[in-house]
Amino acid sequence: MSTKKLKDKVKPTFFKEHQEKLYQALEDKHTTVEIMKDKDPLGTEMILNMGPQHPATHGVLRLALQLNGEIIEKAKLDVGYLHRGVEKIAENKTYQEFMPYTDRMDYLSPYSNNVALCTAVEKIANVEVPERAHYIRMIGCELARISSHLLWLGTLVMDAGAVSFFIWTFREREKLYDIFDQLTGHRFTVSHARIGGVANDITDTAMAMIKDFANDFPQELKDWHGLLDRNRIFFDRNEGVGVLKTEEALNKGACGPTLRGSGYAYDIRKFAPYARYDEVEFEVPTRLEGDNLARYYVRMEEMHESIRIIQQCLDKLPKGPIRTDNAKQAYPSKDEVYYSMEGMIHDFMMTDTGICPPEGAEAYHAVEAAKGELGYFIQSDGTGHPWRLKIKAPSFANLQILEFILDGEMVADTVVIIGGVDPVMGECDK
Amino acid sequence: MAQPTNLEKPRANALNKDYDRERSFSFLENIYLPEIFKALWYSFKQIFQPTVTMSYPEEKWDPPAIFRGRPVLVEDNGKERCVACGLCARACPPLAISMQANEDADDPKERYPDFFEINMLRCIYCGYCEEVCPEEAIVMSKDYDIVFESREEAVYDKERLLVPKEDLQERLDFLRTYKNRQFGQFWDFQEENNIHSVRDRDREFNSGLSLVELLERQKENDTVEADSKWAR
Ligand code: SF4
Ligand code: SF4
Repeated sequence: MSTKKLKDKVKPTFFKEHQEKLYQALEDKHTTVEIMKDKDPLGTEMILNMGPQHPATHGVLRLALQLNGEIIEKAKLDVGYLHRGVEKIAENKTYQEFMPYTDRMDYLSPYSNNVALCTAVEKIANVEVPERAHYIRMIGCELARISSHLLWLGTLVMDAGAVSFFIWTFREREKLYDIFDQLTGHRFTVSHARIGGVANDITDTAMAMIKDFANDFPQELKDWHGLLDRNRIFFDRNEGVGVLKTEEALNKGACGPTLRGSGYAYDIRKFAPYARYDEVEFEVPTRLEGDNLARYYVRMEEMHESIRIIQQCLDKLPKGPIRTDNAKQAYPSKDEVYYSMEGMIHDFMMTDTGICPPEGAEAYHAVEAAKGELGYFIQSDGTGHPWRLKIKAPSFANLQILEFILDGEMVADTVVIIGGVDPVMGECDK
Repeated sequence: MAQPTNLEKPRANALNKDYDRERSFSFLENIYLPEIFKALWYSFKQIFQPTVTMSYPEEKWDPPAIFRGRPVLVEDNGKERCVACGLCARACPPLAISMQANEDADDPKERYPDFFEINMLRCIYCGYCEEVCPEEAIVMSKDYDIVFESREEAVYDKERLLVPKEDLQERLDFLRTYKNRQFGQFWDFQEENNIHSVRDRDREFNSGLSLVELLERQKENDTVEADSKWAR
């Protein structure tokens, strides 16, 4: 098979190498390559290049699919189009300075990212976090989980053909964004958790909005269950599609709802409770089938449980400080900074040097983010900057199973399967 | 610590009441028309839901006081509060702030920024500058629709950054209630002791008290209980 060679036809005069590369790129831009088997035009195989700019791949994910007719014979995954070198940036920032960068990783549930980094730093530097801060963090994390699952639900149903559903889930997300705005100061990039606590206390408006949401949302969820649970069209698109078998799930490294859809109740909130998850009651929903429908049920039930956790947190929310009162570990209050010399010195020290974990210390701490196990591994050299910071991103782990579950599926189901795994590329590519 | 219950033995833990018939359909459901009408009915009901969107350029959003918009410098009596300590520039994660300190010719103790620039193309609105500033000189405003026509225009200088403190009152009040309060140990600060702190610029400093009266006031201050163990 030969396509016409662009660069043989033209004579670049200006900046030759660059022009040639451009022509090459133009040639490579074919989205399809057809391979004829045994000179039989009907036995044609096709390589379909999907993404990275495909609207349905949830970001800049690129898939090279080898098709036989409508069946996917092989799938190859290409990630890294959104690589921003976050781990390297971390090495040049103090822990506190690095915190806003975590918002930009899993941008669908930024709150859990903030908390994941802060708990990891707190673990390596032995920082005590006050009770109230723990509960505020839990509320934030669960709201973030609902927000992320809502986007997943909207896009999954849209991928399966019902566009208006997307609008309805986004209406609920809009409420959540307003809550985040009142709770943290931003709708999207929240940057709310701080090492040793949180940035500010819950305001009264935020409190009222969270209560309203926790009261109203279950009804909405019930309506959606009513719409989808008995809908044959939705089932036909999702049942038995993208099956991750229970025996394979652990070996392939799946995590989060994808793993739970295959039967393993592996949830960090139960497995190694952080914050105060051991003080609230909740269930870890699982299913055995491992197909897209199982993931649907798992995530829907997780949203129920999140609401349950939020309600318990609101009941239990203790009074007290929201940041640790050790000026060597966290910022002092602004009143101290304004009125006392020590406060000001600590303010400068915290900003310039930051919190210094002991030399040679290592710690891994994971939280259960909306997408699965989100872990931070930190190695310290005794300064205020991490010597090495590794992020275990759940989306990256979950995307690895795509190559297996896509094999043998129909090409039309690709989008639904990606939607079911629910990756977010900002986190996968870091 | 709760043990992982079924890492060895996978099982379904369904919270759905109808788990048994989760994947099977009755005859009516199988012909899917009733379900479609159900969904259409739900869609119809949505018409009467309140709108959550807003027609943006015509309709402007008024952000709450907690909102972190464009960082601005607080102008106090026609002068910036900033003492050009450089802490905000150090704390700023994307390195958006630059400044040059200068000293007052008459009073070399007083410093002020010769120039103070925030590159709004870099700023990520994290609010760290506000959080670390020891003089309450830089705060986050409500400005969110920021546009520029060139890169040069995106670098805001002191003139464009300065906003009178009266216009920022809402944010300053918010900071006072939710961010500045002490936590943990409570210190009863004598504001009079600190001439340089921000608050004292807000009020007449010379109390006009005689030394005896001052000493008495001091004694009184020392015996006064803090009004709360932890403020909030
Ligand atoms: S931290 Fe405050 S006082 Fe210091 S340079 Fe920045 S704005 Fe000025
Ligand atoms: S808001 Fe954040 S990014 Fe913007 S100037 Fe302040 S510290 Fe820098």
